[in-house]
Amino acid sequence: MTAIVAADHLSKWYGQVIGLNDVTVTVPAGITGLLGPNGAGKSTFMKLVTGQLKPSKGTITVLGEPIWGNPALYHRIGFCPEQDSFYERMTGLEWVTALVRLNGVADAAAAAMGARAIETVELTDAANKKIGAYSKGMRQRIKLAQALAHDPELLILDEPLAGMDPIARRRTIRLIKDWGRAGKSILVSSHILHEIESMTANILLINQGRILAEGNVHQIRELIDEHPHTVHIKADRTRALAREFLAHDDVLSLRLEEGAVVVQTGRPDAFYARLTDLAASGEHGTIHEVTSPDDNLQAVFQYLVKS
Amino acid sequence: MTPSLLASAVRVFDLSLGQMLWSRRSIFLGLLLGGPVVLALALRIISSLYGLPINGAQPEGATIFGMMVWLLYIRFIVPILGVFYGTALIADEVEDKTITYLFTRPIPRSAVLLGKYLAYLVCTVLLVLPSVMLVFFLIAPTGGSSVAAAFPSLLADFAMLIMGLASYGAVFALVGTRLKRPLVVGLVYAFGWEPAVLLFPGYLKRLTVMYYLQALVTHEMPQDSAVSMVLQLFREVPAIPTSLVSLAVIIAVTLWGAGRAVEQREYVLEQ
Repeated sequence: MTAIVAADHLSKWYGQVIGLNDVTVTVPAGITGLLGPNGAGKSTFMKLVTGQLKPSKGTITVLGEPIWGNPALYHRIGFCPEQDSFYERMTGLEWVTALVRLNGVADAAAAAMGARAIETVELTDAANKKIGAYSKGMRQRIKLAQALAHDPELLILDEPLAGMDPIARRRTIRLIKDWGRAGKSILVSSHILHEIESMTANILLINQGRILAEGNVHQIRELIDEHPHTVHIKADRTRALAREFLAHDDVLSLRLEEGAVVVQTGRPDAFYARLTDLAASGEHGTIHEVTSPDDNLQAVFQYLVKS
Repeated sequence: MTPSLLASAVRVFDLSLGQMLWSRRSIFLGLLLGGPVVLALALRIISSLYGLPINGAQPEGATIFGMMVWLLYIRFIVPILGVFYGTALIADEVEDKTITYLFTRPIPRSAVLLGKYLAYLVCTVLLVLPSVMLVFFLIAPTGGSSVAAAFPSLLADFAMLIMGLASYGAVFALVGTRLKRPLVVGLVYAFGWEPAVLLFPGYLKRLTVMYYLQALVTHEMPQDSAVSMVLQLFREVPAIPTSLVSLAVIIAVTLWGAGRAVEQREYVLEQ
Protein backbone atom coordinates (compact mmCIF):
# COMPACT_ATOMS: atom_id res chain seq x y z
CA MET A 1 0.00 0.00 0.00
CA THR A 2 1.27 3.51 -0.83
CA ALA A 3 2.59 5.45 2.17
CA ILE A 4 0.97 8.85 2.53
CA VAL A 5 3.26 9.82 5.38
CA ALA A 6 6.49 8.01 6.20
CA ALA A 7 8.55 8.85 9.28
CA ASP A 8 11.93 7.23 9.79
CA HIS A 9 13.52 7.52 13.24
CA LEU A 10 11.84 10.90 13.51
CA SER A 11 12.59 12.95 16.61
CA LYS A 12 11.77 16.49 17.56
CA TRP A 13 12.88 18.27 20.67
CA TYR A 14 12.37 21.80 21.90
CA GLY A 15 15.51 22.63 23.85
CA GLN A 16 15.60 20.00 26.59
CA VAL A 17 11.99 18.90 26.04
CA ILE A 18 11.31 15.92 23.79
CA GLY A 19 8.24 16.39 21.61
CA LEU A 20 8.62 13.25 19.51
CA ASN A 21 11.03 10.42 20.22
CA ASP A 22 12.48 8.18 17.49
CA VAL A 23 9.22 7.51 15.66
CA THR A 24 9.23 5.19 12.69
CA VAL A 25 5.78 4.87 11.20
CA THR A 26 4.01 4.61 7.86
CA VAL A 27 0.57 6.10 7.34
CA PRO A 28 -1.32 4.29 4.56
CA ALA A 29 -3.83 5.82 2.13
CA GLY A 30 -7.36 6.21 3.48
CA ILE A 31 -8.44 7.59 6.83
CA THR A 32 -6.04 7.26 9.74
CA GLY A 33 -6.73 8.45 13.25
CA LEU A 34 -3.98 9.80 15.48
CA LEU A 35 -5.09 9.26 19.04
CA GLY A 36 -3.38 10.42 22.20
CA PRO A 37 -3.88 12.48 25.34
CA ASN A 38 -2.77 16.06 25.84
CA GLY A 39 1.00 16.41 25.55
CA ALA A 40 1.38 13.01 23.86
CA GLY A 41 3.11 14.47 20.81
CA LYS A 42 0.08 14.63 18.47
CA SER A 43 0.52 18.31 17.69
CA THR A 44 4.27 17.93 17.21
CA PHE A 45 3.66 15.06 14.79
CA MET A 46 0.99 17.08 12.92
CA LYS A 47 3.35 20.07 12.70
CA LEU A 48 6.12 17.90 11.32
CA VAL A 49 3.73 16.32 8.81
CA THR A 50 2.59 19.78 7.67
CA GLY A 51 6.14 21.14 7.43
CA GLN A 52 5.72 23.73 10.15
CA LEU A 53 8.55 22.17 12.11
CA LYS A 54 11.84 20.74 10.95
CA PRO A 55 12.86 17.31 12.28
CA SER A 56 15.62 17.43 14.90
CA LYS A 57 16.62 13.94 13.79
CA GLY A 58 15.39 11.43 11.23
CA THR A 59 13.25 12.11 8.20
CA ILE A 60 9.63 12.58 7.28
CA THR A 61 8.13 12.42 3.80
CA VAL A 62 4.61 13.32 2.79
CA LEU A 63 3.20 11.95 -0.48
CA GLY A 64 6.73 10.72 -1.19
CA GLU A 65 8.51 14.06 -0.77
CA PRO A 66 10.18 15.86 2.12
CA ILE A 67 7.82 18.53 3.40
CA TRP A 68 10.12 21.01 5.19
CA GLY A 69 11.05 23.84 2.81
CA ASN A 70 8.97 22.33 -0.02
CA PRO A 71 6.05 24.74 -0.52
CA ALA A 72 4.97 23.18 -3.84
CA LEU A 73 3.77 20.14 -1.88
CA TYR A 74 1.03 22.23 -0.25
CA HIS A 75 -0.89 22.11 -3.53
CA ARG A 76 -1.61 18.49 -2.61
CA ILE A 77 -2.25 19.00 1.10
CA GLY A 78 -5.05 20.67 3.03
CA PHE A 79 -4.50 21.42 6.70
CA CYS A 80 -7.08 22.23 9.37
CA PRO A 81 -5.14 23.38 12.46
CA GLU A 82 -6.27 22.91 16.02
CA GLN A 83 -6.06 26.54 17.09
CA ASP A 84 -9.18 28.68 17.02
CA SER A 85 -7.52 31.59 15.18
CA PHE A 86 -8.84 33.60 12.26
CA TYR A 87 -8.88 36.98 10.55
CA GLU A 88 -11.96 37.87 12.54
CA ARG A 89 -12.97 40.90 10.47
CA MET A 90 -13.19 38.93 7.23
CA THR A 91 -16.28 37.04 6.17
CA GLY A 92 -16.02 33.28 5.83
CA LEU A 93 -16.16 33.49 2.05
CA GLU A 94 -13.55 36.28 1.85
CA TRP A 95 -11.20 34.34 4.08
CA VAL A 96 -11.45 31.01 2.30
CA THR A 97 -11.20 32.74 -1.11
CA ALA A 98 -8.12 34.70 -0.02
CA LEU A 99 -6.41 31.51 1.14
CA VAL A 100 -7.28 29.65 -2.08
CA ARG A 101 -5.78 32.55 -4.03
CA LEU A 102 -2.50 31.80 -2.29
CA ASN A 103 -2.53 28.51 -4.20
CA GLY A 104 -2.14 30.51 -7.40
CA VAL A 105 -5.81 30.26 -8.33
CA ALA A 106 -7.30 33.22 -10.26
CA ASP A 107 -9.76 35.48 -8.39
CA ALA A 108 -13.01 34.25 -9.94
CA ALA A 109 -12.04 30.60 -9.71
CA ALA A 110 -10.88 31.06 -6.11
CA ALA A 111 -14.23 32.63 -5.18
CA ALA A 112 -16.07 29.72 -6.81
CA MET A 113 -13.88 27.15 -5.05
CA GLY A 114 -14.34 28.96 -1.75
CA ALA A 115 -18.12 29.03 -2.16
CA ARG A 116 -18.17 25.33 -3.07
CA ALA A 117 -16.10 24.39 -0.01
CA ILE A 118 -18.34 26.47 2.23
CA GLU A 119 -21.36 24.72 0.75
CA THR A 120 -19.73 21.36 1.44
CA VAL A 121 -19.39 22.20 5.13
CA GLU A 122 -22.96 23.55 5.11
CA LEU A 123 -22.09 27.14 5.95
CA THR A 124 -23.51 28.84 2.85
CA ASP A 125 -26.04 30.85 4.88
CA ALA A 126 -23.22 32.32 6.97
CA ALA A 127 -20.70 32.72 4.13
CA ASN A 128 -21.03 36.50 4.09
CA LYS A 129 -21.00 36.97 7.86
CA LYS A 130 -17.84 38.04 9.61
CA ILE A 131 -15.94 35.14 11.17
CA GLY A 132 -15.87 37.05 14.45
CA ALA A 133 -19.63 36.47 14.69
CA TYR A 134 -19.41 32.69 14.09
CA SER A 135 -20.18 30.12 16.77
CA LYS A 136 -17.50 27.63 17.79
CA GLY A 137 -18.96 24.94 15.52
CA MET A 138 -19.13 27.34 12.56
CA ARG A 139 -15.52 28.33 13.14
CA GLN A 140 -14.47 24.69 13.07
CA ARG A 141 -16.37 24.18 9.82
CA ILE A 142 -14.88 27.25 8.11
CA LYS A 143 -11.43 25.91 9.04
CA LEU A 144 -12.37 22.65 7.33
CA ALA A 145 -13.58 24.61 4.29
CA GLN A 146 -10.22 26.35 3.83
CA ALA A 147 -8.46 22.97 4.11
CA LEU A 148 -10.48 21.29 1.39
CA ALA A 149 -11.26 24.23 -0.93
CA HIS A 150 -8.36 23.54 -3.30
CA ASP A 151 -9.28 19.84 -3.55
CA PRO A 152 -6.12 18.35 -2.00
CA GLU A 153 -5.18 14.65 -2.10
CA LEU A 154 -4.32 14.60 1.59
CA LEU A 155 -6.30 16.28 4.37
CA ILE A 156 -4.63 16.74 7.73
CA LEU A 157 -7.17 17.56 10.41
CA ASP A 158 -6.00 18.47 13.91
CA GLU A 159 -8.84 17.95 16.42
CA PRO A 160 -11.51 18.93 13.86
CA LEU A 161 -14.47 18.10 16.11
CA ALA A 162 -13.30 20.05 19.16
CA GLY A 163 -16.11 22.13 20.61
CA MET A 164 -18.72 21.24 18.00
CA ASP A 165 -22.32 20.64 19.01
CA PRO A 166 -23.60 17.07 18.53
CA ILE A 167 -25.32 17.76 15.20
CA ALA A 168 -22.31 19.54 13.68
CA ARG A 169 -20.15 16.72 15.03
CA ARG A 170 -22.29 14.10 13.30
CA ARG A 171 -22.29 16.09 10.05
CA THR A 172 -18.53 16.55 10.14
CA ILE A 173 -17.89 12.87 10.80
CA ARG A 174 -20.13 12.09 7.82
CA LEU A 175 -18.20 14.59 5.67
CA ILE A 176 -14.84 13.10 6.65
CA LYS A 177 -16.07 9.62 5.81
CA ASP A 178 -17.45 10.91 2.48
CA TRP A 179 -14.07 12.44 1.62
CA GLY A 180 -12.40 9.17 2.49
CA ARG A 181 -14.81 7.29 0.23
CA ALA A 182 -14.10 9.85 -2.52
CA GLY A 183 -10.47 8.72 -2.48
CA LYS A 184 -8.85 11.36 -0.31
CA SER A 185 -6.39 10.36 2.34
CA ILE A 186 -7.07 11.86 5.74
CA LEU A 187 -4.95 12.02 8.86
CA VAL A 188 -7.15 13.11 11.73
CA SER A 189 -6.09 13.65 15.33
CA SER A 190 -8.19 13.50 18.45
CA HIS A 191 -7.96 12.65 22.12
CA ILE A 192 -11.34 10.90 22.00
CA LEU A 193 -11.41 7.32 20.77
CA HIS A 194 -15.12 7.40 20.02
CA GLU A 195 -14.63 10.24 17.58
CA ILE A 196 -11.80 8.48 15.80
CA GLU A 197 -13.61 5.17 15.85
CA SER A 198 -16.62 6.69 14.14
CA MET A 199 -14.41 7.69 11.20
CA THR A 200 -11.93 4.84 10.86
CA ALA A 201 -10.68 1.60 12.36
CA ASN A 202 -7.10 2.45 11.49
CA ILE A 203 -5.40 4.33 14.32
CA LEU A 204 -2.01 5.41 15.53
CA LEU A 205 -1.82 5.49 19.29
CA ILE A 206 0.67 8.07 20.54
CA ASN A 207 1.85 8.84 24.04
CA GLN A 208 4.92 10.55 25.51
CA GLY A 209 6.31 11.22 22.06
CA ARG A 210 6.21 7.59 20.92
CA ILE A 211 3.84 5.58 18.76
CA LEU A 212 2.52 2.92 21.13
CA ALA A 213 0.37 0.99 18.71
CA GLU A 214 -0.95 1.15 15.20
CA GLY A 215 -3.64 -0.68 13.33
CA ASN A 216 -7.14 -1.85 14.17
CA VAL A 217 -9.01 -0.05 16.87
CA HIS A 218 -11.01 -2.82 18.50
CA GLN A 219 -8.52 -4.12 21.07
CA ILE A 220 -7.76 -0.65 22.29
CA ARG A 221 -11.43 0.07 22.30
CA GLU A 222 -12.08 -2.73 24.75
CA LEU A 223 -9.48 -1.33 27.11
CA ILE A 224 -10.91 2.13 26.90
CA ASP A 225 -14.44 0.93 27.51
CA GLU A 226 -13.36 -0.27 30.93
CA HIS A 227 -12.76 3.34 31.94
CA PRO A 228 -15.53 5.89 32.47
CA HIS A 229 -15.71 8.63 29.85
CA THR A 230 -16.36 12.26 30.84
CA VAL A 231 -18.40 14.58 28.62
CA HIS A 232 -18.79 18.34 29.15
CA ILE A 233 -21.97 19.73 27.57
CA LYS A 234 -22.76 23.44 27.24
CA ALA A 235 -26.48 23.93 26.81
CA ASP A 236 -29.37 26.32 27.44
CA ARG A 237 -31.39 24.05 29.74
CA THR A 238 -28.85 22.09 31.71
CA ARG A 239 -31.26 20.95 34.46
CA ALA A 240 -33.69 19.44 31.96
CA LEU A 241 -30.79 17.70 30.24
CA ALA A 242 -29.51 16.40 33.56
CA ARG A 243 -32.93 14.91 34.39
CA GLU A 244 -32.98 13.22 30.98
CA PHE A 245 -29.46 11.81 31.40
CA LEU A 246 -30.18 10.42 34.88
CA ALA A 247 -32.99 8.30 33.48
CA HIS A 248 -30.39 6.05 31.82
CA ASP A 249 -28.19 3.56 33.64
CA ASP A 250 -25.06 4.20 31.54
CA VAL A 251 -24.67 7.57 33.30
CA LEU A 252 -22.38 6.92 36.26
CA SER A 253 -22.26 10.43 37.70
CA LEU A 254 -23.37 13.92 36.84
CA ARG A 255 -22.71 17.44 38.04
CA LEU A 256 -24.01 20.86 37.04
CA GLU A 257 -21.73 23.79 36.29
CA GLU A 258 -22.67 27.29 35.14
CA GLY A 259 -24.27 26.80 31.73
CA ALA A 260 -23.00 23.25 31.46
CA VAL A 261 -23.56 19.71 32.62
CA VAL A 262 -20.68 17.28 33.13
CA VAL A 263 -21.48 13.59 32.74
CA GLN A 264 -19.48 10.43 33.37
CA THR A 265 -20.70 7.54 31.29
CA GLY A 266 -19.77 3.86 31.15
CA ARG A 267 -21.07 3.45 27.59
CA PRO A 268 -19.95 6.44 25.52
CA ASP A 269 -21.41 5.13 22.25
CA ALA A 270 -24.92 4.89 23.63
CA PHE A 271 -24.55 8.23 25.38
CA TYR A 272 -23.31 10.11 22.29
CA ALA A 273 -26.05 8.58 20.13
CA ARG A 274 -28.71 9.72 22.60
CA LEU A 275 -27.11 13.15 22.90
CA THR A 276 -27.17 13.66 19.15
CA ASP A 277 -30.85 12.68 19.01
CA LEU A 278 -31.61 15.08 21.85
CA ALA A 279 -29.80 17.92 20.08
CA ALA A 280 -31.61 17.18 16.82
CA SER A 281 -35.04 17.10 18.49
CA GLY A 282 -34.43 20.32 20.44
CA GLU A 283 -36.57 18.77 23.18
CA HIS A 284 -34.40 20.18 25.96
CA GLY A 285 -33.25 23.38 24.30
CA THR A 286 -30.11 24.07 22.29
CA ILE A 287 -26.92 22.13 22.97
CA HIS A 288 -24.08 24.49 22.11
CA GLU A 289 -20.87 22.60 22.61
CA VAL A 290 -19.69 19.13 23.58
CA THR A 291 -16.14 18.54 24.76
CA SER A 292 -14.35 15.69 26.41
CA PRO A 293 -11.32 16.29 28.65
CA ASP A 294 -7.99 14.69 27.90
CA ASP A 295 -7.86 12.79 31.16
CA ASN A 296 -10.29 10.21 29.71
CA LEU A 297 -7.42 8.63 27.86
CA GLN A 298 -4.73 9.19 30.44
CA ALA A 299 -5.64 6.21 32.59
CA VAL A 300 -5.86 3.96 29.56
CA PHE A 301 -2.45 5.04 28.32
CA GLN A 302 -0.92 4.48 31.74
CA TYR A 303 -2.37 0.98 31.64
CA LEU A 304 -1.03 0.37 28.12
CA VAL A 305 2.45 1.55 28.98
CA LYS A 306 2.56 -0.69 32.08
CA SER A 307 1.21 -3.78 30.31
CA MET B 1 2.90 25.20 -10.28
CA THR B 2 4.02 27.29 -7.34
CA PRO B 3 3.30 31.00 -7.91
CA SER B 4 6.33 33.32 -8.15
CA LEU B 5 7.63 35.21 -5.13
CA LEU B 6 6.15 38.50 -6.32
CA ALA B 7 2.78 37.05 -7.36
CA SER B 8 2.52 35.30 -3.99
CA ALA B 9 3.57 38.46 -2.16
CA VAL B 10 0.84 40.45 -3.93
CA ARG B 11 -1.75 37.92 -2.76
CA VAL B 12 -0.49 38.05 0.81
CA PHE B 13 -0.61 41.84 0.48
CA ASP B 14 -4.30 41.63 -0.54
CA LEU B 15 -5.03 39.45 2.47
CA SER B 16 -3.08 41.61 4.92
CA LEU B 17 -3.80 45.22 4.00
CA GLY B 18 -7.35 45.35 5.38
CA GLN B 19 -6.26 43.60 8.57
CA MET B 20 -3.39 46.03 9.04
CA LEU B 21 -5.41 49.18 8.24
CA TRP B 22 -8.11 48.41 10.78
CA SER B 23 -5.82 47.09 13.49
CA ARG B 24 -5.62 48.68 16.94
CA ARG B 25 -2.03 49.63 16.09
CA SER B 26 -3.20 51.69 13.12
CA ILE B 27 -5.87 53.41 15.16
CA PHE B 28 -3.35 54.29 17.86
CA LEU B 29 -0.72 55.51 15.42
CA GLY B 30 -3.39 57.34 13.44
CA LEU B 31 -4.14 59.29 16.63
CA LEU B 32 -0.41 59.98 17.04
CA LEU B 33 -0.40 61.41 13.52
CA GLY B 34 -3.12 63.81 14.61
CA GLY B 35 -0.52 65.46 16.88
CA PRO B 36 1.28 67.43 14.15
CA VAL B 37 -2.08 68.51 12.72
CA VAL B 38 -3.15 69.89 16.11
CA LEU B 39 0.22 71.63 16.43
CA ALA B 40 -0.11 73.08 12.92
CA LEU B 41 -3.61 74.31 13.71
CA ALA B 42 -2.35 76.00 16.88
CA LEU B 43 0.54 77.61 14.96
CA ARG B 44 -1.86 78.82 12.29
CA ILE B 45 -4.12 80.44 14.88
CA ILE B 46 -1.18 82.03 16.72
CA SER B 47 0.30 83.18 13.43
CA SER B 48 -2.90 84.84 12.33
CA LEU B 49 -3.37 86.52 15.72
CA TYR B 50 0.16 87.51 16.71
CA GLY B 51 2.56 86.41 13.96
CA LEU B 52 5.27 83.78 14.44
CA PRO B 53 8.59 85.53 14.95
CA ILE B 54 11.64 83.25 15.39
CA ASN B 55 14.73 85.14 16.58
CA GLY B 56 12.97 88.36 15.63
CA ALA B 57 12.25 87.38 12.02
CA GLN B 58 9.04 86.03 10.52
CA PRO B 59 9.92 82.74 8.77
CA GLU B 60 8.05 81.67 5.69
CA GLY B 61 5.35 79.02 6.07
CA ALA B 62 7.30 76.69 3.77
CA THR B 63 10.29 76.86 6.14
CA ILE B 64 8.17 76.03 9.19
CA PHE B 65 6.57 73.19 7.25
CA GLY B 66 10.00 71.89 6.30
CA MET B 67 11.09 71.94 9.94
CA MET B 68 7.95 70.11 10.98
CA VAL B 69 8.46 67.46 8.32
CA TRP B 70 12.04 66.90 9.40
CA LEU B 71 11.67 67.09 13.15
CA LEU B 72 8.23 65.55 13.66
CA TYR B 73 7.77 63.17 10.77
CA ILE B 74 11.23 62.04 9.66
CA ARG B 75 12.98 62.12 13.03
CA PHE B 76 10.09 60.83 15.12
CA ILE B 77 6.95 59.50 13.44
CA VAL B 78 8.53 57.57 10.56
CA PRO B 79 10.90 55.60 12.84
CA ILE B 80 8.03 54.98 15.27
CA LEU B 81 5.87 53.59 12.46
CA GLY B 82 8.80 51.53 11.20
CA VAL B 83 9.48 50.06 14.63
CA PHE B 84 5.89 49.25 15.53
CA TYR B 85 4.84 47.79 12.20
CA GLY B 86 8.16 46.45 10.91
CA THR B 87 9.01 44.37 13.96
CA ALA B 88 5.45 42.95 14.00
CA LEU B 89 5.12 41.86 10.36
CA ILE B 90 5.46 38.18 11.20
CA ALA B 91 5.17 38.44 15.00
CA ASP B 92 1.52 39.53 14.79
CA GLU B 93 0.58 36.46 12.77
CA VAL B 94 2.52 34.24 15.17
CA GLU B 95 0.87 35.84 18.19
CA ASP B 96 -2.59 35.53 16.60
CA LYS B 97 -1.70 31.95 15.53
CA THR B 98 -2.85 32.70 11.99
CA ILE B 99 0.63 32.17 10.53
CA THR B 100 -0.23 28.47 10.07
CA TYR B 101 -2.71 29.32 7.31
CA LEU B 102 -0.03 31.21 5.37
CA PHE B 103 2.81 28.76 5.93
CA THR B 104 0.78 25.75 4.77
CA ARG B 105 0.07 27.23 1.33
CA PRO B 106 2.21 26.65 -1.77
CA ILE B 107 4.07 29.93 -1.54
CA PRO B 108 7.61 30.68 -0.37
CA ARG B 109 7.63 31.81 3.25
CA SER B 110 9.58 34.89 2.22
CA ALA B 111 6.56 35.89 0.10
CA VAL B 112 4.58 36.17 3.33
CA LEU B 113 7.13 38.62 4.67
CA LEU B 114 7.31 40.57 1.41
CA GLY B 115 3.51 40.76 1.07
CA LYS B 116 3.15 41.97 4.61
CA TYR B 117 5.94 44.49 4.09
CA LEU B 118 4.11 45.87 1.05
CA ALA B 119 0.92 46.05 3.11
CA TYR B 120 2.86 47.92 5.82
CA LEU B 121 4.14 50.40 3.26
CA VAL B 122 0.71 51.15 1.81
CA CYS B 123 -0.90 51.23 5.25
CA THR B 124 1.63 53.68 6.72
CA VAL B 125 1.62 55.87 3.60
CA LEU B 126 -2.17 56.07 3.87
CA LEU B 127 -1.79 57.07 7.53
CA VAL B 128 0.99 59.61 7.06
CA LEU B 129 0.00 61.41 3.88
CA PRO B 130 -3.33 62.89 5.08
CA SER B 131 -1.58 64.19 8.18
CA VAL B 132 1.22 65.79 6.13
CA MET B 133 -1.27 67.29 3.66
CA LEU B 134 -3.28 68.89 6.45
CA VAL B 135 -0.15 70.27 8.08
CA PHE B 136 0.98 71.65 4.71
CA PHE B 137 -2.30 73.44 4.00
CA LEU B 138 -2.40 74.86 7.52
CA ILE B 139 1.22 76.05 7.64
CA ALA B 140 2.28 76.81 4.06
CA PRO B 141 0.15 79.99 3.65
CA THR B 142 1.63 81.62 6.78
CA GLY B 143 4.53 84.12 6.81
CA GLY B 144 3.88 85.36 3.29
CA SER B 145 4.38 81.96 1.55
CA SER B 146 1.98 80.76 -1.10
CA VAL B 147 0.64 77.21 -1.30
CA ALA B 148 1.36 77.07 -5.04
CA ALA B 149 5.01 78.06 -4.61
CA ALA B 150 5.57 75.57 -1.81
CA PHE B 151 3.73 72.69 -3.51
CA PRO B 152 6.74 71.19 -5.36
CA SER B 153 8.58 70.83 -2.06
CA LEU B 154 5.54 69.00 -0.65
CA LEU B 155 5.93 66.38 -3.38
CA ALA B 156 9.62 66.03 -2.55
CA ASP B 157 8.69 65.64 1.12
CA PHE B 158 6.21 62.91 0.22
CA ALA B 159 8.93 61.06 -1.67
CA MET B 160 11.30 61.44 1.28
CA LEU B 161 8.67 60.18 3.72
CA ILE B 162 7.93 57.14 1.56
CA MET B 163 11.65 56.42 1.30
CA GLY B 164 11.94 56.74 5.08
CA LEU B 165 8.99 54.43 5.70
CA ALA B 166 10.37 51.89 3.22
CA SER B 167 13.85 51.96 4.76
CA TYR B 168 12.86 51.83 8.41
CA GLY B 169 10.19 49.21 7.71
CA ALA B 170 12.75 46.94 6.04
CA VAL B 171 15.37 47.45 8.77
CA PHE B 172 12.88 46.69 11.52
CA ALA B 173 11.46 43.73 9.59
CA LEU B 174 14.97 42.27 9.82
CA VAL B 175 15.14 43.10 13.53
CA GLY B 176 11.69 41.51 14.03
CA THR B 177 12.61 38.26 12.33
CA ARG B 178 16.14 37.85 13.71
CA LEU B 179 16.19 39.16 17.26
CA LYS B 180 14.45 38.56 20.55
CA ARG B 181 12.72 41.63 22.03
CA PRO B 182 12.65 43.36 18.64
CA LEU B 183 10.54 46.28 19.84
CA VAL B 184 13.09 47.28 22.48
CA VAL B 185 15.99 46.80 20.07
CA GLY B 186 14.14 48.84 17.44
CA LEU B 187 13.37 51.72 19.77
CA VAL B 188 16.97 51.79 21.05
CA TYR B 189 18.23 51.81 17.46
CA ALA B 190 15.86 54.56 16.29
CA PHE B 191 15.98 56.85 19.30
CA GLY B 192 19.29 55.96 20.93
CA TRP B 193 21.82 54.81 18.39
CA GLU B 194 20.87 56.95 15.39
CA PRO B 195 20.58 60.36 17.11
CA ALA B 196 23.76 59.72 19.12
CA VAL B 197 25.88 58.63 16.17
CA LEU B 198 24.68 61.47 13.95
CA LEU B 199 26.01 64.03 16.41
CA PHE B 200 29.63 62.99 15.98
CA PRO B 201 32.02 62.93 13.05
CA GLY B 202 33.18 59.58 11.71
CA TYR B 203 31.97 56.60 9.74
CA LEU B 204 29.50 55.16 12.22
CA LYS B 205 26.75 57.48 11.00
CA ARG B 206 26.84 55.61 7.71
CA LEU B 207 25.27 52.73 9.60
CA THR B 208 22.09 54.75 10.10
CA VAL B 209 19.09 55.30 7.86
CA MET B 210 18.79 58.91 8.98
CA TYR B 211 22.20 59.82 7.56
CA TYR B 212 20.99 59.04 4.06
CA LEU B 213 17.52 60.49 4.60
CA GLN B 214 18.85 63.89 5.63
CA ALA B 215 20.37 64.30 2.19
CA LEU B 216 16.88 64.25 0.76
CA VAL B 217 15.71 67.25 2.79
CA THR B 218 14.89 70.04 0.36
CA HIS B 219 14.12 72.76 2.88
CA GLU B 220 16.56 75.31 4.23
CA MET B 221 16.64 75.10 8.03
CA PRO B 222 17.17 78.22 10.16
CA GLN B 223 20.88 78.22 11.15
CA ASP B 224 21.14 81.26 13.36
CA SER B 225 21.16 79.65 16.79
CA ALA B 226 24.42 78.70 18.48
CA VAL B 227 23.50 75.02 18.72
CA SER B 228 22.52 74.71 15.08
CA MET B 229 25.74 76.48 14.04
CA VAL B 230 27.81 73.95 16.04
CA LEU B 231 25.83 71.03 14.71
CA GLN B 232 26.30 72.33 11.20
CA LEU B 233 30.08 71.97 11.63
CA PHE B 234 29.64 68.18 12.03
CA ARG B 235 26.86 67.81 9.52
CA GLU B 236 28.12 65.73 6.68
CA VAL B 237 25.46 65.04 4.08
CA PRO B 238 25.93 62.58 1.23
CA ALA B 239 24.89 63.45 -2.30
CA ILE B 240 21.28 62.70 -3.23
CA PRO B 241 22.13 59.89 -5.72
CA THR B 242 24.42 58.30 -3.13
CA SER B 243 21.65 58.49 -0.55
CA LEU B 244 19.03 57.02 -2.86
CA VAL B 245 21.29 54.14 -3.88
CA SER B 246 22.31 53.53 -0.25
CA LEU B 247 18.71 53.47 0.94
CA ALA B 248 17.77 51.11 -1.89
CA VAL B 249 20.63 48.81 -0.87
CA ILE B 250 19.56 48.98 2.79
CA ILE B 251 15.99 48.03 1.83
CA ALA B 252 17.08 45.18 -0.45
CA VAL B 253 19.65 43.72 1.95
CA THR B 254 17.52 43.92 5.07
CA LEU B 255 14.44 42.48 3.33
CA TRP B 256 16.56 39.66 1.93
CA GLY B 257 17.94 38.96 5.40
CA ALA B 258 14.46 39.02 6.92
CA GLY B 259 13.15 36.73 4.18
CA ARG B 260 15.96 34.24 4.80
CA ALA B 261 15.20 34.27 8.52
CA VAL B 262 11.52 33.53 7.91
CA GLU B 263 12.40 30.71 5.48
CA GLN B 264 14.68 29.00 7.97
CA ARG B 265 13.02 29.63 11.28
CA GLU B 266 10.56 27.31 13.00
CA TYR B 267 7.62 29.08 14.58
CA VAL B 268 6.37 27.11 17.57
CA LEU B 269 2.91 28.37 18.45
CA GLU B 270 1.76 28.29 22.07
CA GLN B 271 -1.09 25.82 22.53
